[in-house]
Amino acid sequence: MKILVELTVNGEEGQFEVEPQTTLLELLRDHLHLTGTKEGCGLGDCGTCIVLLEGKPVNSCLVLAVDANRREVTTIEGLEENGEIHPLQQSFLEKGAVQCGFCTPAMILSAKSLLDQYPGANEQQIKEALSGVLCRCGSYPKIIEAVQAAGGSKKKGLGNEK
Amino acid sequence: MKSEYVGKRVPRVEGVEKVTGRAVYSVDVDLPGMLYGAVLRSPWPHARIVEIDLAEVRKARGVKAVVAGKDFPFNFGGMIRDQPFLAIDRVRHVGEPVVAVAAATEAEAQEALGEIKVQYQELPAVFDPREALAKNAPLLHERLGEYVHTGPYQSVPGTNLCTVRTYSRGDIGAGFAEADELFEDEFYIHAVAHTPMETHAAVAQYIPAEKNYLIWSSTDGPFRRAKELADALRVTINQVRFISTYSGGGFGGKGAMVAEAIAVALANFCKGRPVKVVYTREEELTASQTRHAAYLKLKTGVRKDGSFTARQAEIIWDNGAYASKGPDVAQRGGLTIFGPYRIPNLELLSRLVYTNKEPAGAYRGFGTTQATWACEVQMDMIAARLKMDPLEIRLKNGYQEGDAYINEQVMHAVGLRETLLRASREIGWPPSKPKPLGTRFRGKGLAATIKGTATPTESSCFIKVNPDGTLTLLSSSVEIGAGQKTVLAQIAAETIGVPLASISIPNPDTSITPFDAGVTSSRTTYHMGNAVHGAGLEVRRKILEVAGEVLKTEPGRLSLSQGRIFEEGAGERLTLKELLAKKFGGRGGGLLAEGRFSPAGSPLLAAAKGREGMSSIFWMFATHAAEVEVDTETGVVKVLKIAAAHDVGTAINPLGCEQQIEGAAIMGISNTLFEELKMEKGRILNDTLADYKVATIKDLPEIVPIIVETQHPEGPFGAKGIGEPAAACTAPAIANAIFDAVGIWIKDLPITPEKVLAALNQKKNEGGA
Repeated sequence: MKILVELTVNGEEGQFEVEPQTTLLELLRDHLHLTGTKEGCGLGDCGTCIVLLEGKPVNSCLVLAVDANRREVTTIEGLEENGEIHPLQQSFLEKGAVQCGFCTPAMILSAKSLLDQYPGANEQQIKEALSGVLCRCGSYPKIIEAVQAAGGSKKKGLGNEK
Repeated sequence: MKSEYVGKRVPRVEGVEKVTGRAVYSVDVDLPGMLYGAVLRSPWPHARIVEIDLAEVRKARGVKAVVAGKDFPFNFGGMIRDQPFLAIDRVRHVGEPVVAVAAATEAEAQEALGEIKVQYQELPAVFDPREALAKNAPLLHERLGEYVHTGPYQSVPGTNLCTVRTYSRGDIGAGFAEADELFEDEFYIHAVAHTPMETHAAVAQYIPAEKNYLIWSSTDGPFRRAKELADALRVTINQVRFISTYSGGGFGGKGAMVAEAIAVALANFCKGRPVKVVYTREEELTASQTRHAAYLKLKTGVRKDGSFTARQAEIIWDNGAYASKGPDVAQRGGLTIFGPYRIPNLELLSRLVYTNKEPAGAYRGFGTTQATWACEVQMDMIAARLKMDPLEIRLKNGYQEGDAYINEQVMHAVGLRETLLRASREIGWPPSKPKPLGTRFRGKGLAATIKGTATPTESSCFIKVNPDGTLTLLSSSVEIGAGQKTVLAQIAAETIGVPLASISIPNPDTSITPFDAGVTSSRTTYHMGNAVHGAGLEVRRKILEVAGEVLKTEPGRLSLSQGRIFEEGAGERLTLKELLAKKFGGRGGGLLAEGRFSPAGSPLLAAAKGREGMSSIFWMFATHAAEVEVDTETGVVKVLKIAAAHDVGTAINPLGCEQQIEGAAIMGISNTLFEELKMEKGRILNDTLADYKVATIKDLPEIVPIIVETQHPEGPFGAKGIGEPAAACTAPAIANAIFDAVGIWIKDLPITPEKVLAALNQKKNEGGA
């Protein structure tokens, strides 16, 4: 049995036929080929599959596609505007918050949701908001720095200061 | 000379791909007609396969291919060829692949596994490597003596001894006789899981008419894997093309064929269709590879003044069921048990032992982490008994520039002392005794380490100059996440004199990119860096030669900087792009240079006769200093701060060095305090990331990365390496800080609240007695 799901993904409306058990992650990766969203465990433990559902971070492996019906989804592919990457993406790049890059989309989206709500979020709030995503490379210190710089809670600027 | 790129905090050259989600990892590879694989694994730690019934599974929905071990009866293994692609007549660990299925969808493949019937006859199993050494222990590999050994690995057929490594220097008995104090201690370090965020994954395709394999994988050594696979299947390297993707973390775990083996076996039966195998997190935790657990015994003789007279060491490494890279871990990792210290009389017995468990493999540190754990905790035990400062005893015995290594190799670029001084200064040394806050006691500890690199090994590359003056670097060094591409681009841009942005580095493909021994052993910056430097000099020479021809002047009067050609006395003449247009005209043309590097033959490797094989072309040194808080009521240890000083030779990219140091310190804390593979009869019980806890952003203490630069005489711009030693000294620094805080020694990892409380109780009882 297929079910019709209407979804706005990165600003584009679409209709998709899915199985009742299809997860949002499967819909994004397998049907829409938005592979910037990663699967690290499929159980909601690692957070690498985080996307924004109505602006809030969710583990897309735990959300059924049918439950996202008529809602708005933002994935990492949706952050670029007019060919420019998002300030958070720029900040991650410049602060060295990226190593293997596998958790990076989920980290950036989690941070975006936080900064959209609390633009000047402090270190504690950043740690809380990003604690759902594991980074085995251990980029945590530089991720915090990048989010702070993008959010402006520390007036550090985004340059490559030595 | 002022550098343009070397020593600069250059952001990742592949960073935009990663922050935009465009970087393609193995799990993202999607090909026309692709099938999906799934694996039925052994439920038994040791059993004979009596019968496999595949009649039902072949008829299951969506199933296109089914393969069992006897259908693809080959063994692989980079060091000892002991591992079947799929179990043939026996299983040797829980989780060993037995039957693989390819189907049209992932779900159909998984579902089909339920239709396979395997009849096993359980065999006695052995889980503790010390028990596996016993005469009557169950034997894992009866044919150990017949397996191909690709190096001088001393196996003992008829036993579970996969590799034995001994070493001695001087007279151990005389050394102990000279000592004022003898220290005899036993240590244990546990197995941990690499836990890359991207699980093992591979896509393989077999073209029957050509007998060619294509493999998409995030392995850290595509060329080594290609050779291993070609050797295993008795085909040529041209028939096994490895195409590298980005790697979602490796830490050593992607240095062997894991998902690749299953995908390749399946591909043979998929009639030319590609097949994708992605490990679930459960498979990753229970059926990929682990760090070697190890039992270490140390006997050390010390004079009253704190100088060493002798050390005798015995290490038993738990190899699990197959060799993987264990033989080299036992050989090279074992030797670091003597630490970065001058000890005149030495003896080592290092034994790698098969057990009926998930195989162990390379893990960041390659045995150094295990050896450093024992060496450095005992170091503080020695300091405590002699009433010496832990820093002082290390400075007194630690290697210095020009000191001889244990094989008499003279070492250069030895920054140990500076790492000790700077890490201890940053943490605040000597530790003061702050007043406890209720039941919470604070303490500080230090630990140092030494690590070499596999020597000699080869790297080669090509640099192409394209018609418009952009350049392409072709190398088989995979970007495993540690910044390989950026460092190589910096070295190339600096050497040639072109903008960094003009250089592109595609991911490796063994049918195009030349040989490299792999992104392992912290070797890429040094080895591939030197190859790129060599190719860069060559391409620069060629560019200036063409410029001399075009400008009708002596190339010796010309120079190249930021892609512009300057002439002595005349200033800028033209850009590289203009030069190539002038030389080749509208139809275009290009230049090409090759770089090949091996340290073989370097005078730096000279050592005692017959012992040159132990020399390392460079030695890395590091010190971690930890401040911890121990709650004597709960036993919980909290790391407050890590100051981590690493001698990297030259930091080609300080930002990248900091990433490695910070990341490794966090991994070190996580391995030490949080992680443990809980096992029952060879079955791993904690098979999810909810139960196998790794450090989150909330577990982050203050980490201060400190970069020490010693300028290696033959390194590219003086660089050495960083990746592996970065994780070695965190655990002993924490243990030593716990002793400083509450006066207990923890000698078994991981450090759990239970062990801390038990040690506190024991101390209290002994004190009260």
